[in-house]
Amino acid sequence: MNNLFLRVSIWVYLGIFFAYLLGPLVIMAITAFNSNGFPSVSPWECFTYAWFSELFQDERILNGIKNSVIVGIGTVIMSVTMGLSGALILTQVWPKLRATYYTIVIAPILVPGVVLGISTVVFWQRVNNWLGLGPDSILADGLFLTIIGQSTFIASYCMLVLVARLQRYDLTLNEAALDLGASHTQAFTKILLPFMMPAIATSAVLAFLASFENYNTTTFTFGDYPTLTIELAQKVRYGISPAISALAFIIIVGTVFGALTNEALKRRKELQAAASGDTVAKVDGGFRLPSFLSRNPAMIALIMLVAAVGLSVVNSMSHNPAQCIAQVQTERQEQRALEAEANLRALAERRAAAAAARAAEAAANGETVEEETTTAPASSGNSTGAFGNVFAPTNLDGAEDGEAEATEEAPASPFGSVFDPGNLETEGASDNN
Amino acid sequence: MKNGFLHNFYQHNGKVLGTTLLVVMTFWIGVLIILPQLSMLDYSLREYLPSGEVGDYTLKNYRHLIYGAEGASDAYNYVDLKVFMRTIIAAICVTIFNLLLCYPIAFFLGQVAKGMKLRIFAMLLIIPYWINEILRAFALKIIFGATGMINAVLIGMGILDEPFDFIRADVALYAGLGYAYILLMVFPMYNVIESLDGNQIEAARDLGAPWWRIHWRIVVPYAKPGISSGCTMVFMLSAGALAAPQILGGPSSLWFTQIIYQWFNDGGNWSQGAAYAVVLLVSCIIIVLAFMKLFKVNMGDIGK
Repeated sequence: MNNLFLRVSIWVYLGIFFAYLLGPLVIMAITAFNSNGFPSVSPWECFTYAWFSELFQDERILNGIKNSVIVGIGTVIMSVTMGLSGALILTQVWPKLRATYYTIVIAPILVPGVVLGISTVVFWQRVNNWLGLGPDSILADGLFLTIIGQSTFIASYCMLVLVARLQRYDLTLNEAALDLGASHTQAFTKILLPFMMPAIATSAVLAFLASFENYNTTTFTFGDYPTLTIELAQKVRYGISPAISALAFIIIVGTVFGALTNEALKRRKELQAAASGDTVAKVDGGFRLPSFLSRNPAMIALIMLVAAVGLSVVNSMSHNPAQCIAQVQTERQEQRALEAEANLRALAERRAAAAAARAAEAAANGETVEEETTTAPASSGNSTGAFGNVFAPTNLDGAEDGEAEATEEAPASPFGSVFDPGNLETEGASDNN
Repeated sequence: MKNGFLHNFYQHNGKVLGTTLLVVMTFWIGVLIILPQLSMLDYSLREYLPSGEVGDYTLKNYRHLIYGAEGASDAYNYVDLKVFMRTIIAAICVTIFNLLLCYPIAFFLGQVAKGMKLRIFAMLLIIPYWINEILRAFALKIIFGATGMINAVLIGMGILDEPFDFIRADVALYAGLGYAYILLMVFPMYNVIESLDGNQIEAARDLGAPWWRIHWRIVVPYAKPGISSGCTMVFMLSAGALAAPQILGGPSSLWFTQIIYQWFNDGGNWSQGAAYAVVLLVSCIIIVLAFMKLFKVNMGDIGK
């Protein structure tokens, strides 16, 4: 009983955890296909690919991607080099110094990115002044500063990855190479580097991704070269659009693709290793998946993902949501008209109630009632009278007349243009910013 | 003594390689890590001159954080101090929230889940981490917006009558900060818990310990390095976060990093910004060291 309870609560917890982790991303991805101008899921309008084409026409985004790639490549080169040197020295440094050394090279991970960005800008500006160079020298260049600033802490990540692999390196291999007459450099390039290659590749990928998504440091250093993340932040801060969801969707699909590929390859290697152990392959007459698919769900998922992306690209060529969008627009207009009507009716009711209250008040002191009643007809069609035009006979004739009148006077009413349906939208949008 | 080390080092690596390593490391540690920090400290102690020249030494920039501008009506700089305190306290709360949220999953992945299940969960954990920080904040903004998912669900269920402004109430900000750094809490804990010998847990169970005592007496003490490592990272990163407060913060609330950003970009007073950055860095380090002392963990455990 207790066990069952525990098991259920674990699964409930896992459900909540992953809903928190993945839910926002899934919803954001879905909003990329809704034709609604504000990224949303719940008033679903039309399925559209329009936001993707808007995204690909955005010069700033494309330029940002270009800058991000340049910065990423520079950062990968610098931080893998520094991380590898750092790892090599860590294994050789005096045991007494090791803790201090480790603290210094790990510290950049923990220093807030804002602080790294500021210190980089301040320092290189000073170096620039000290060397007597102008403001357009390379030391004040946005690309240079961004690469330098990011490498400061990304190199620490690389070092952590590389140290893990380096600890498994058999030092006697190096000694053997030296004994056989290799120079130190040869031993390094021919033995150590090939051994480190998988970790170097991993750290390069990590470094590129970390550089690509860095915001805190880059926001101080980018100068004239805004990266994709900077452009995104600008867009998200000053008004949001489903085009950003479209970009997010592409990034999510790319990430899932990368993760599945990695997983599938790993699994395949394992299966091959296991298969080479079996001398006799099992033979059964039934249906069998091709060998690279069997027992490799990641590969299956990967193929399904590729198929889905391919299909939707094909679909996007022919899919035309124009009719649906037009329909939604007319519906929206109708709804707005209805809402406006409801608002006006509420307004009229409120006025009537106010007028009735005033009339009741007036009834308490009898004299004024008569005065009011005499003035009221004179001011019919005008809401200045205590009774307004609520009791005017024309009002009873048809609702349409009253509405038309009300529509005209609405902006001048004491409520201002609060009930203007056009206002609701812009107000809602600005609230959300 | 130093020569002895260098001699050994060169003997071990050869001249070319040894020199390259030393040059690269000097560049990283000296030019990228230490000198910029010292330069920032120096900058924060100087008078700011808009012309870009170097001013005289002064404590004015630090005084500004505590007492406000000269001739201000209040005795202290309440606005900035309040933001500073809120940043630190909120970062601590986010860290505790993340610890409570992530400990079970780290234990589940490290000890309970096996094979296929473990791989699927690990992948589900890693994927969100590689999505841009800005986009993750954007995702939360969509959800917490006035016409967003959560409001729609709550209204649909009849709990709320009209949309609740989660962004103005800072709910979105705290959810976003917790969201951003979940992974940095899970992985260090997972790495340590995974290496715990499952027999210890079984032995404790055989001896009749209830599940909570197994965790309290065996798993948590064993996982302490991972826990402290995760907490340190989450605390430092959320105190230094800039993207989430800029995107998810309400109109009135300011994170301390936002003030620094304003001094740099809008206010145009770099010395003032540098002074605030120094204050942020130093106070974060002091808090982390204090907590480490309190829970008796070493700096060397961080990053493992």
